[in-house]
Amino acid sequence: MSTRDLLRGDPQILAMGGGGFTMEPDNPALDDYVLSLVRVAEPRILFLPTASGDPTAQITSFYARFARRASAAHLSLFRRHGSARALADILLEQDVIYVGGGSMRNLLAIWQAHELDALLVEAWRRGIVLAGLSAGAMCWFAGGITRSAGPPEVIEGIGLLPGSFTVHADGEPERLPVWLEAVRSGVLPGGWAADDGVGLLFSGTRMVRVVSSRPGAAALRVDVVGGELVRHRIEPELLFAERGPGGRPVPDDVRELRELRQAMRRG
Amino acid sequence: MTTARPPQIVAFGGGGFSMEAGNPLLDDYVLSLAGRDRPRVCFLPTASGDADHYVVRFYRMFAAHCEASHVTLFRRERGGGAVEGNLEQHLLRQDVIYVGGGSVVSLLGAWRAHGLDRILKSAWRRGVVLCGLSAGSLCWFSDAVTAFHGAPTVVRGLGLLPHSNCVHYDGEPERRAEYRRFVGDGVRPGYAADDGAALHFVGRELRRVVTSRPRARAFRVEPVGGEVVEQPLPVRYLGDAQRDLAVA
Repeated sequence: MSTRDLLRGDPQILAMGGGGFTMEPDNPALDDYVLSLVRVAEPRILFLPTASGDPTAQITSFYARFARRASAAHLSLFRRHGSARALADILLEQDVIYVGGGSMRNLLAIWQAHELDALLVEAWRRGIVLAGLSAGAMCWFAGGITRSAGPPEVIEGIGLLPGSFTVHADGEPERLPVWLEAVRSGVLPGGWAADDGVGLLFSGTRMVRVVSSRPGAAALRVDVVGGELVRHRIEPELLFAERGPGGRPVPDDVRELRELRQAMRRG
Repeated sequence: MTTARPPQIVAFGGGGFSMEAGNPLLDDYVLSLAGRDRPRVCFLPTASGDADHYVVRFYRMFAAHCEASHVTLFRRERGGGAVEGNLEQHLLRQDVIYVGGGSVVSLLGAWRAHGLDRILKSAWRRGVVLCGLSAGSLCWFSDAVTAFHGAPTVVRGLGLLPHSNCVHYDGEPERRAEYRRFVGDGVRPGYAADDGAALHFVGRELRRVVTSRPRARAFRVEPVGGEVVEQPLPVRYLGDAQRDLAVA
């Protein structure tokens, strides 16, 4: 067992209702939070853009966000990656696996076709942090609400986390009534709805923290009690956005200092 | 539907608009099977993850002389010019369904999730010409040899054609040896095609091999008396018949 393996903790999942580098190019708060969940100094992070079909734009924004903060790589299931390494080797050496948004139906079907779903469960068990937004967040739960075929509909997930999860509660409000009805009728178990910018942190299968990159955003817990929906609003902890709300670029001197610090950490 | 058309598949080892810019021989051959002035051609770029640049090149090639459309399985909620609503109805109305290259494993996974495997089978039975290159060739066969994600491996395709298939046969030397080894180890016999060679099946039988390049070849690969034999197939170079279109 490597030092890296020993530094790993309990299984962790950060499920985002939206946000991170693909949706908040000027606000790194959630992505910084993802990295803060890892104990090693130079974390290895792997991006899976499967749910969107591995578009170049997403991959470029991933590196723009993480290349200086971590040892960053992506895994494409649509383009040649020029590596004969087994997927298990690529996945299980990571500290963080970050799953992008898109079509959840495609995501799960394509993972299954490549037998990646079982590997992700194994990665989670070993304490590799799983993070993701939208389809890349709902996939870990018992189920969620997808727009993979156009109109919002119920979809089953991998089921690492009990309960259901629905995303973009503020950005795409048409998902919410479909989810509430599915929970009310028992098609989906009770669970959470998250606004864009809101992340739910799970330690093992327990929800332990709710954070947000945007003031005003929130999460909603919904359960059925005696046949009735019971809603409970959760106020997230607002994460410190390093660039401020105006999305100003980091001044050169601050960036230089950060790079220096990173270089020193690397030794 | 005017007259009953037989099921047809044209499987390119490589080539067509996405690999042979300026050489329309294989694509024109497929269109000639539609038997119509402005054939309805629908593009499925699934194996590339519905890459935008691929969709654009498809329309550049086909929009002027066909009723061209495309299906996206990744952005169905956003439309973006792709077919919306009932995919089955749209696909069954086509003369040609053209499948792009990329990862055959991802292609099959996404198709199954959207029920396209079933729809394409019924399109084939009704005489919609199915064609494609690379992953868009492999998908129609029972066994597909792919080296897309590293070492060559065999995956199960849709099985419309009860053979095995290997593409880009002239591309990488190890692929030839691997394919023959697979067939020796019990993978069903089948067909290999170079870039620029297309296998035209009517029903489940190979009707002919056409090529867009004078030297492109195709092979029948099968065990004969305990040994795997690679039998070159007769090919028809399409440039001969259409000398004025041939590119230097």
